[in-house]
Amino acid sequence: MTPYLIAFLLILFSLLGAPLFVIILAVAMAGFYRSGIDLSVIAIELYRMADMPVLLALPLFTFAGYLMAKSKTPQRLVRLARAFLGWMPGGLAIVSFVACALFTAFTGASGVTIVALGALLHPALKQTGYPEKFSIGLVTTSGSLGLLFPPSIPLILYGIIAQQMGVGRNFSLEDLFLAGLLPGLLMIVFLSSWSLWTNRKNPIPLTRFSCREARAAFRETIWEIPLPFFVIGGIYGGYFAISEAAAVTVIYVMGVEIFIYKEIKLSQLPEIMKESMAMIGGILLILGASLASTNFLIDAEVPAHLFELIQIHVTGKTAFLILLNVFLLLLGAILDIFSALILMVPLILPVAISYGVDPVHLGIIFLANMQIGYLTPPIGMNLFIAGYRFKKSITELYQATIPFMIVLLAALIIITYWPGLSLVLLRK
Amino acid sequence: MSWIKILRIIIHNMPKPTNKNTGGSFLERGRTILHRIEDGILIGLLMLMIVTAFAQIFLRNLFEFGIVWGDVMVRILVLWIGLVGAMVAGRQNNHISIDLITRYLPKRPKNIADSLTQLFTSMVCGITAYYSAQFVKMEFEYGDTAFARVPVWLCEVIIPFAFAIIALRYFILFLSNLSKAIKLSS
Repeated sequence: MTPYLIAFLLILFSLLGAPLFVIILAVAMAGFYRSGIDLSVIAIELYRMADMPVLLALPLFTFAGYLMAKSKTPQRLVRLARAFLGWMPGGLAIVSFVACALFTAFTGASGVTIVALGALLHPALKQTGYPEKFSIGLVTTSGSLGLLFPPSIPLILYGIIAQQMGVGRNFSLEDLFLAGLLPGLLMIVFLSSWSLWTNRKNPIPLTRFSCREARAAFRETIWEIPLPFFVIGGIYGGYFAISEAAAVTVIYVMGVEIFIYKEIKLSQLPEIMKESMAMIGGILLILGASLASTNFLIDAEVPAHLFELIQIHVTGKTAFLILLNVFLLLLGAILDIFSALILMVPLILPVAISYGVDPVHLGIIFLANMQIGYLTPPIGMNLFIAGYRFKKSITELYQATIPFMIVLLAALIIITYWPGLSLVLLRK
Repeated sequence: MSWIKILRIIIHNMPKPTNKNTGGSFLERGRTILHRIEDGILIGLLMLMIVTAFAQIFLRNLFEFGIVWGDVMVRILVLWIGLVGAMVAGRQNNHISIDLITRYLPKRPKNIADSLTQLFTSMVCGITAYYSAQFVKMEFEYGDTAFARVPVWLCEVIIPFAFAIIALRYFILFLSNLSKAIKLSS
């Protein structure tokens, strides 16, 4: 009786808006208390945060992302992409997808892409002749594109959680980074093709490729272009670990934005530091609390029971994956991506492994679902951010984004049921 | 530009308090000062982390040695930044939560729901603070060292401290919400 009462109360409190870390802590407390373990064990679990070297990457990449969002990097990125891709049919739409994906990979899908890049792309798209509804839908969709590309913070977080559980085969964060590349590209290709097809009757004047503009845009961005190459190249080349890449990125971005472009004043730094650390602090706290609750869940063999329960109704990997997709899409619409990862990976990963799903593949499926969850009516976060930013009613946004969502769902089906797409780059 | 100059500019431009009424009561001014100290600690921790992490890479690659305890310190700094950042986020009740229902609630029920969850948050954080303090006390008695000559308990002391502050903050939020709810009903 009591466990059910506690569970009921906790669900009630979380629906009423109690902070998630509190709910997770309460679960851990109730669990430890029932097993007769002294509650000071919670401090030991929280202190485990200091035993995870990769965690360092989270605050550092977050801070670097905030810096870039506050500078004129978005403008430069759009100009560069336009200069090099704008001449293609459907050019500006493709430009938008590529620029947003790159930007989100570095800043995380915290809505910053819609606010920073969407505000530039939306007027440009309309000016070029794309219909209003299409432009709005595109910008809203692009806000979470790029989650699968390194060094996206959700990708790193999935790796950290999966690694510290120690179930299934071992994999490195680098594997995860490689695995995200093709599925992420697939989404961009699908969205771009659809943009071309849907605008086939709406002739959009092509711009000629201008060598001069390309050179000017390139020169303007010269300091930022090396960044993705050296982060990704440095990690794969074995020159530095991910947390080291993050430290180098921070120093580099600070140097470039403050001393070369001079777009961020030193006097702005404290505010940006505080803002970004308060944001990542909230996430780290949830992570720390979940270290305690996860340990309890595993001790109590909750994933094993869950697997037995699901197995009664669901046999076979395919059926499980269908169920997983539906569940994760719903989850992605309710929870933000970080909490969803921290809460659900410890439960889902062991079950998925029992069904024969590769842990790296599961990470890609998880994030692809979450990305679409951002757009899922009625409460996907991108819809609200775009509605707020572009002053549109939420129903208008539903109509505008649904076609894009369907395209992404098609990509999701391929990503989910074709593990090879994620894993092929891993087989050396 | 020298490092000292950079530091000076940063210190001079600490985030301004969010509430504009600078006059305020004695209590309010005290709170503003506490907030600025908190911000200062958070920013200082981040700067220390960036500098140490970068210095380690620099030393290791160019001179093939690193500060032995540097890596340990950076990992502990992550814990501290996480907790102090969470304290700052708690100021405006900015913690991640599911606002599925409360977003659509009318004012009065929302007030009641908020005060309930805030009281609950305060209680859970209070319990965490109490038991973490017990743990830190135990560690103090063991007297192990974490790195250099810094004892382990000193690294851990942020856990009970941060949770105590969060508990206090949510208790104050609860009280102010409760008084609002009472005002609304009368």
